[in-house]
Amino acid sequence: MSSATAGWLQVGLLVVALAACYVPLGNYLARIFTTEKHWKVERSVFKLIGVDPTADQKWSAYVRSMLAFSFVSVLFLYGLMRLQHYLLDWVGPHMANVQPDLAWNTAASFVTNSNWQNYAGENTMTYLVQMGGLAVQNFLSAAVGIVIAFAMIRGFTRSRTDKLGNFWVDMVHCVFRLLIPLSIVGGLILAAGGAVDNFVTYHTITTLSGAHQTVVGGPFASQEVIKDMGNNGGGPFNTNSAHPYENPNSFTNWFEIFLLLLIPFATPRAFGRMVKDNRQGYALVAVMATIWAAAVAGISFFESHPMLGGVANRIQHGAMEGVEVRFGTAGCSLFAASTTVTSTGAVDCFHDSLTPFGGGIALFDIALGEIAPGGVGAGMYGILVLAIVTVFVAGLMVGRTPEYIGKKIRPAEMKYAALYFLTLPVIILTAAGLSIGTKTGQSAIYNPGPHGLTEVVYAFASMANNNGSAFGGLGTAATWYQVSGGIVMLLGRYAPEIFALGLAGSLARQQPVPASAGTLDTRTPLFVGMLIAVILVLVGLTYFPALALGPFAEGLH
Amino acid sequence: MSVTTAPDAPASPGPKPADTQPHRVGGGLLEPRTLLKATPDAFRKLDPRVQLKNPVMFVVEVGAALSTGSAIVKPSIFNWTIVVWLWLTVVFANLAEAVAEGRGKAQAETLRRTKRETVARRLVAWRPGQRPEERREEPVPGTQLTLGDHVIVEAGEIIPGDGDVVEGVASVDESAITGESAPVIRESGGDRSAVTGGTRVLSDQIVVQITSKPGETFIDRMIALVEGAKRQKTPNEIALNILLAALTVIFLLAVITLQPMAFYSKAPQSTVILVALLVALIPTTIGALLSAIGIAGMDRLVQRNVLAMSGRAVEAAGDVNTLLLDKTGTITIGNRQATDFLPVGGVSRPSSRMPPSSPAWPTTPPRAAPSWCSPGTPTACARALRMIRAATAATASRQGPRANCAAPSSSSSPRRPG
Repeated sequence: MSSATAGWLQVGLLVVALAACYVPLGNYLARIFTTEKHWKVERSVFKLIGVDPTADQKWSAYVRSMLAFSFVSVLFLYGLMRLQHYLLDWVGPHMANVQPDLAWNTAASFVTNSNWQNYAGENTMTYLVQMGGLAVQNFLSAAVGIVIAFAMIRGFTRSRTDKLGNFWVDMVHCVFRLLIPLSIVGGLILAAGGAVDNFVTYHTITTLSGAHQTVVGGPFASQEVIKDMGNNGGGPFNTNSAHPYENPNSFTNWFEIFLLLLIPFATPRAFGRMVKDNRQGYALVAVMATIWAAAVAGISFFESHPMLGGVANRIQHGAMEGVEVRFGTAGCSLFAASTTVTSTGAVDCFHDSLTPFGGGIALFDIALGEIAPGGVGAGMYGILVLAIVTVFVAGLMVGRTPEYIGKKIRPAEMKYAALYFLTLPVIILTAAGLSIGTKTGQSAIYNPGPHGLTEVVYAFASMANNNGSAFGGLGTAATWYQVSGGIVMLLGRYAPEIFALGLAGSLARQQPVPASAGTLDTRTPLFVGMLIAVILVLVGLTYFPALALGPFAEGLH
Repeated sequence: MSVTTAPDAPASPGPKPADTQPHRVGGGLLEPRTLLKATPDAFRKLDPRVQLKNPVMFVVEVGAALSTGSAIVKPSIFNWTIVVWLWLTVVFANLAEAVAEGRGKAQAETLRRTKRETVARRLVAWRPGQRPEERREEPVPGTQLTLGDHVIVEAGEIIPGDGDVVEGVASVDESAITGESAPVIRESGGDRSAVTGGTRVLSDQIVVQITSKPGETFIDRMIALVEGAKRQKTPNEIALNILLAALTVIFLLAVITLQPMAFYSKAPQSTVILVALLVALIPTTIGALLSAIGIAGMDRLVQRNVLAMSGRAVEAAGDVNTLLLDKTGTITIGNRQATDFLPVGGVSRPSSRMPPSSPAWPTTPPRAAPSWCSPGTPTACARALRMIRAATAATASRQGPRANCAAPSSSSSPRRPG
């Protein structure tokens, strides 16, 4: 089978599988976040943490709960890494305590769902940290994103109230009813596909050529599934999903891509169901699918035609530098596009080695923010904010106060929406500008010229958008990048979430207006096209200077 | 509600010349003359403190100033072209706003003039029960009336200020203010003694005691409304300004961070180039034309005989889904009008002079007289209505499609103030 055929086949199967899951998973998600009933295990958790499951929270209380929870998570994870040498170190290989700057960066990174990794997991983190710290955060940070998306949806479904639901109840429901059951199924499928899952320590083996090699065991399949499904991206190995223990063959590779896209693509259905108009969900998923398809097509095209731009090695099967040969450029491109649009950051080939334009598309995907389809939950509130901006821009053309799903878009809503889309460019451009403009920042750039510039911009875009993938040719273990990276990740995660919840609170207070002849129909292809245009223009113009000096300059040179 | 459909100032001094030809109400807001008049204001608005109110244009102005400095240091044709272009952008944006402001001023000025032109017949040393021949009158401008003054108003005259009737009974046409087309009775003593400045006495004679201080009358409030309307931004405008400000911040950062990246790429850019890029990126056009867009909306309504007092009202009208009216008069003219005079039951055609109780509104053709009919004469009434319809249709076809805007009496073309 040629590389291109394999690529088409994988994409086709992926579309079929995701389409098959869209309705059932979406409906299930909607049920999780609308049910009033609690399982026995959930009730016992509520009792343990002292939460009244019937008490709804205002948006500000919801924000406080979310921030407090995340703050404690950062502290806990930081402490765990700093003390790992003394804790449970009889299981698996022994490791030294993690350095403070790395522990700070990693704690911020895993709590914010970025999973930016400035370390090699197999020789830095003990199994306790991997399983009890990092993997736990993979669940919890994903759940935080999802519950905020549903709190935002409640802003549309509720009226004349200032309550958006209860953060703790939503978290518990999300973890027990969604993430754990799906992870068990997914983990078993991955293990059956050949991914490793055990507690053994290092083995030293003698290879056929007589050399000695250290082989690592560990709980990989169980961490792998939530790493992908929660759009986290932080795997146990430095080489991430390119490592055969995490991702042994083409099937697991395809399955991991499926996991990346599963929840983000099903959330619009839950949205449509909750606002009682499934076509609203179809419109949003159409936007997401279009951008994802364009990203896949773009990266695949440039990776299989390396002659177009750049000096990557021009061999028969496309740009093979940095590509895992088991998957080829087709599997690599599909994975790269899916991981960047979903803000996952897991990789099965090295983005630094993508062709200039292919890497440029990956950077553009990340710069889109979390919208198409975005990280779990984050993509949903991201696209809702942009849908509001689009409705507003369109409303100006007909001279009416615009409305979306029966809620008017007034100055208060616009204020939150503007703050939302203002945050990420400000963070990314400031941090990247500071890094490129200073000696400290420049000294970590291993590849001079436009590629080095792309590396820096990519690094901060990835951290601020909580993606976590990286262009490897940047020495991000330097203190400047460790510290600033942690700040960027926290700001990039929580500032937009606060604004999204504020927007939801403002929407929930309104009473719905009935649709009339002057209401823009947000279920039509016209709206889908407009939303895509707003997304592309906004991002395109914001990052055009950086893209021009980075990928374009490199590719056209 | 700030959409008023009264097509003229409420206190029009006496009937207008009735033979005024119906004319298309011109917009007149973006005419060369208006623009020319607003130009000095446009330059006055270059003051940064004024510009700060519009963040987008403030950024452009700062950019223009930076480029000017840069062009002086390094003069070249390219640099100076950019500089001239930037300043023109700022001035044109100011011009649009100056025109918008000029319009509000002109409206307020019209109302003030109306007020000045109302001449009151003040009674000197009036006492209750004074005999008519003992009254001493003196004419004073309406603006000089103060609390406690007594004025005499006769049929056909405008009441010069807010007050109470202290002697006499009169039917008063308050349509200009209330929209109620039928005259109301105002008499001394009791609940119905209050009269409003700017309304017209239709019959009889009353003595009114002024109860408002100068500057606090109804017309003064109208003036304040017209002047204040301009300063009110519409909710959509506020929301749009938020969006524009956010975009400006983003692009400002994109351009500022471009310089370190350009240095790194060994291609540093000059200030003029960066400013030009910034102005191209930020939403300059919409930021500059926002006030002009507002005027255009009001202008379109004026052309349809609707007086929008503010852009906010235009926007509110756009949000209306269902319109509930208590009577048709409110939304059309607010007063009865005659289109033709039809003698009924052997009565001879009267002279063209209007009886005191005829509608205040000037009507065309000039010989018009009341043509509504009283109950009890159904046959004559039906005939009259048929004729009115025929006459209306004929007038409508003469005037073209615009005529139906002022239904039901389409032949009278309301003028806009000023």
